[in-house]
Amino acid sequence: MRELRGRPDEADDGGRAERDAPGAGAVRERVEVRSRAEYAADAELAASLEVVRRFDARRAGLAEVSTRDAAAYLDARQAERPWLAAARDRSPEVQRLFAALDQGGGHGHIRHEGWVTEEMSRRRVAYLEDPAQLDPAKRAAAIDGLKSPEASHHCRAASSRITDPDAFAVAFARGIEHPTVRAALDAKFTPGQVPRPVSLSIGDLLGPDGYRYCTGWRLQPFEGSMNAAREHRAAWTEARRQARDAAGPEPEARASGTFAGGTVVFAFAPNDARDGYEVVTMYPRPRRDERQGDSR
Amino acid sequence: MSTFYWERHPDGPFVTLVAVAATYCSPDAYDGAYDDLARRARAADSDDEEMRVFKAELRQALADPSALPDDELSEAVEYSDGSDERFLRRLWRDLYGDEPAAGA
Repeated sequence: MRELRGRPDEADDGGRAERDAPGAGAVRERVEVRSRAEYAADAELAASLEVVRRFDARRAGLAEVSTRDAAAYLDARQAERPWLAAARDRSPEVQRLFAALDQGGGHGHIRHEGWVTEEMSRRRVAYLEDPAQLDPAKRAAAIDGLKSPEASHHCRAASSRITDPDAFAVAFARGIEHPTVRAALDAKFTPGQVPRPVSLSIGDLLGPDGYRYCTGWRLQPFEGSMNAAREHRAAWTEARRQARDAAGPEPEARASGTFAGGTVVFAFAPNDARDGYEVVTMYPRPRRDERQGDSR
Repeated sequence: MSTFYWERHPDGPFVTLVAVAATYCSPDAYDGAYDDLARRARAADSDDEEMRVFKAELRQALADPSALPDDELSEAVEYSDGSDERFLRRLWRDLYGDEPAAGA
């Protein structure tokens, strides 16, 4: 939550003013690091971890992982899969969820979780640089980090994340218990067909202050149009990939406004065994009227 | 509160077109989704009611793109083609090849 302090979506509260008061010493800062609203969000989240404890990976179309195997998995792979580091110091239950996710085909925990920095999110939106691409040259060339064979990276006009691994785990675990997500995951498998994406309220998944765990960046309009902005971004990144002179100005992205009243999207894919469905991505979206191109 | 057109307007105009296009053609779609949609379109399975409606709505949208609900296709699919019409023309060509479509 610390990186969220001072963001425009923060509600006014006495806690922040007290925290920022001149003369507040190191000890005082250590014990009053959170605003009251942040404290409430963290307390709600801690109480919500029960849903992570009862998380059943098989109900999410994933392979079951024991807590012991999860810790070993995270330890063994975090060098080549740096997004796992975010979960390494969390509870065994959160580690278990991340280990299960990482062995599936989804990428929510890779592109929309706390290990992705604000700058990585901004560059993803503006230049299609994929946080999952670990080769800097390929990332700069907008090559997707997960597709095989190699292919261009695609991104919506916004990229967002849930900034805390516990919050991400709670959102995922609670989401897969929701009836609309269950309907998708439990659908009879038909080759070539996949259930439609689903959106759930951030408040329902993370509590009334859960939106405070969400941040994002949004592509800005080009010549007054978001359609033109996406087209221009594609042409600009293609020109950069081919080391040609870019046509027009650099694509611009700005920080999203508040996620209060927003949703968490769940999109689906066939699982690796091709006998059911899994969540291919999960990410927060601001309210519709906050998704304008010139959002804050 | 809901994000998607098909959640807000489950019986709205062009809802199958928007939902199917978003599911298979948007940046959220899984690797290989566009190819799966093309195979599904070409299979012409008479039991695939969703694809029958999708094709009819795609024809209708190509005939009159202005009939699409405001910004819904663009927001759901987030194509890089520049306009609804250019995206729909590409989609028709990729799924149905040279088969005639009004306006295509």
